[in-house]
Amino acid sequence: MGKIKSAICITLFTLFIAALCFVCTVSFSYGENGMYAFNSILRMTAKDAELGGSYGAEGYLGGGYSVVYYPEGVISAKEYESNLGGIADEDDKAEYAEKYVADATKTLYFDKEKVCDGGNAPSESFKASFEKTSSLLKDRYSLLRKDGVQMKVADGYTVRVFLAKDVMDSELYAFTANSFTGKVTVRYGEADKPESAKTILPARADKPITDYLKKVSSRTAADGTAYVVLDFTSEGRKIIASETATANTMYFMVGENAVIPFKVTEAIDQSSLYLSGSYTAESAKVCATVMNSVLHDAQAEDLLTLTLADGYQHEALYGNNALTYLYIAFGVCFVGMAVFFLIRYRALAFAHIYTYLIFLIAMILCVWSIPFLYISVETFLAVALVSLLLGASNAYCFENAKKEYALGKTMTSSVKSGYKRSMLPLIDLHIVLAALSFIVYGIGLTNLSLFAFVLGLGTVFSCLCTIGLNRFMWAIMMAFTKNKGKFCNFKREEVEEDD
Amino acid sequence: MTKRVTKLLPVWIAVSAVILIAGIVLCALLGFNYAPELPKEKTFEVEYDVVVEIEDKRSDLKKICEDEFAARNLTVAEFHDIDEINPSTGSKTGNGKYVFSFDGSANDDALNTAKENVISAIKTQMPATAQISVSVHTATGESFAEPEWRAAVGIATAIVAVLIYVAIRFGVGSALTGLTVCVHDVVATLALFAIARIPVAYFAPMVIGGVAAFLSLLLWLVQCIKMRENFKEISFASYSAEEAVYESNKTAKKAVLGIAGAFAIAAVLLGVGLAVAGAPLGGWLLPVALVIPAGVSAYSSLVFGPALHVPVKACFDRFKSKKKRYIGKEKTEKAKEN
Repeated sequence: MGKIKSAICITLFTLFIAALCFVCTVSFSYGENGMYAFNSILRMTAKDAELGGSYGAEGYLGGGYSVVYYPEGVISAKEYESNLGGIADEDDKAEYAEKYVADATKTLYFDKEKVCDGGNAPSESFKASFEKTSSLLKDRYSLLRKDGVQMKVADGYTVRVFLAKDVMDSELYAFTANSFTGKVTVRYGEADKPESAKTILPARADKPITDYLKKVSSRTAADGTAYVVLDFTSEGRKIIASETATANTMYFMVGENAVIPFKVTEAIDQSSLYLSGSYTAESAKVCATVMNSVLHDAQAEDLLTLTLADGYQHEALYGNNALTYLYIAFGVCFVGMAVFFLIRYRALAFAHIYTYLIFLIAMILCVWSIPFLYISVETFLAVALVSLLLGASNAYCFENAKKEYALGKTMTSSVKSGYKRSMLPLIDLHIVLAALSFIVYGIGLTNLSLFAFVLGLGTVFSCLCTIGLNRFMWAIMMAFTKNKGKFCNFKREEVEEDD
Repeated sequence: MTKRVTKLLPVWIAVSAVILIAGIVLCALLGFNYAPELPKEKTFEVEYDVVVEIEDKRSDLKKICEDEFAARNLTVAEFHDIDEINPSTGSKTGNGKYVFSFDGSANDDALNTAKENVISAIKTQMPATAQISVSVHTATGESFAEPEWRAAVGIATAIVAVLIYVAIRFGVGSALTGLTVCVHDVVATLALFAIARIPVAYFAPMVIGGVAAFLSLLLWLVQCIKMRENFKEISFASYSAEEAVYESNKTAKKAVLGIAGAFAIAAVLLGVGLAVAGAPLGGWLLPVALVIPAGVSAYSSLVFGPALHVPVKACFDRFKSKKKRYIGKEKTEKAKEN
């Protein structure tokens, strides 16, 4: 490549990298009193709840939400004391106090009738029902398949759940919907009055709901609209068709909670009912999971009614500055890598640095733009691994060219032969690692799938950058120097002359 | 005389066997050390309902609790100052809570005495109208099994699929050794975590297994690439399987150590970054502990793998040479016929 073309290319690449580095990393306020803000790509990228750091204009600092599920008849000591303090009449006060019994540590108070069967400790049937209910909650939260979900059974008879902030878009809906327990029924009646609506499914008390409603699932259409899909049996379809002949409101109930209320304007005669409305893909999935988890349970009436209380917002577990320090650590690694290449390959190191920066910017843009990716410790680890892969691959190409140059070939020929020698092994290496990553991504869940996807994506970029971009960078940067060997710190092999 | 690493296969098998057996037994009996997740925890919670009343005295409230814990030798594992929200709408109510977490083994009597003393101190030191309640809770964490078994299936499937490719490109022998080495590295890494009782979060074993598989394959592929390059050279033709693997291993040493070392340094730096930021033990220890898979993979690639590959290569070489003799006879017979 000629010097002029090389100079143009280097200038354009430098400007391109500088502009993208700026867009990716620098955030600032401008206008009168800093009224407007320019948010960098890194700032706008979703972040793990544990890391904190700024996120968009809202100044997100990580963390998440926690709630406590209290079974019916179980209240906290705080609520008990508050209720007791609110009763003025002494007789009523005594009656209220008599109604409840405290646990050994006075942390929870149990309704003697509902929980203890008239005794002073939770009955065996209550314990069995609580076991079943907490198991149902565990299944529901497990099916969320989200990073950072924590569930704890506290004080023996309450369930504490933590959901990470911003990893989901409907954490609060999940908290509420997952508290619904009981049998699935379909009711039909006046708007906003599910309690007085007529139960149309199951049509007969001796038949289970599954004879009418096969399953509930969720789907997302290509245009992004999310649906809850209800599949009826032929019998269920007939009943729905006849009952919906007059316009009214249909309620899909779990226990006494209307999970899906919707207005019917004309008779519904379909085997599958697609309901959209205000659902997101996530909330539709939560809704379907809640209904499915009790649909096939013939003993769903044994489940305890849950009350949602004690909601709290938590800060980032790793501290609000964790992300900043991770960036610094990553910067130190980058400087270390640059120094190694500068010492070993002198000016040729710039070819690698330019390639690496473009690779890194591509990774940042992908993590920002792909909806299910976010910045976390796993993302950092994956980027560190693929950075290592790119560095090793570039060094391997440089070393092969160095060997060819040492044998006495010209620099152009050395680069050509070096890359020829490196090509197949590097392709093998990248194919193997990308396949490993994407297969793990396909099967794994939560943190591992995030880690594997970033790893796979980085491996693909590493392959493209090593084989294509790095060689191009080398060509344009070397065009300016006369002593190409010195530029790359390559030396000829010394041959001893015979006397 | 020092024996070459490629001749000491029984020694490496013994070393690995000890680690694997000890790790599997410990893992089966005790599991991993999930201490950072506080699988069983006790919490001392101070809820304040009228934030305006105690706004200036919040630090005093915290100090009352901390002094009481210090007096009863109770070590706080984690502390959180959290804001109350309406669980249906997410809006903040203005109330808050201090949560002091303790390990599950914390003394119940000490906690309950601390509770009584803190309640008494609040009565004397806080405004009478302030609504503050103190409670002690015991909680047991639930782990979700699905991510764990799917991680195991995913990594196993990926290793097998990838090694089919390795078998096609580098030979069945290299794939068989690679499969053994990769499985060894993943299990040995997890075993070392179990033996050393390194505190990890619930998700950590999955990620550690993934990193170990990735590094193991990466370093074994470096060996395979070097072996393929070297075995083509004329000087290697006269070597026995053991000599050839040993000589090739020498040329790969630098690259393997360089990659493993660079990854270990990067992992330590990330861990240090998190530690400086104030992340809890389970947060910063995970990156630092990734030095273990880097070390195990380097050991396998440079020591265990080559030693294991010697008999595998010898076996495949014998098979190849038998095949060659047969072709030779066929050619001679054809020449005679002509």
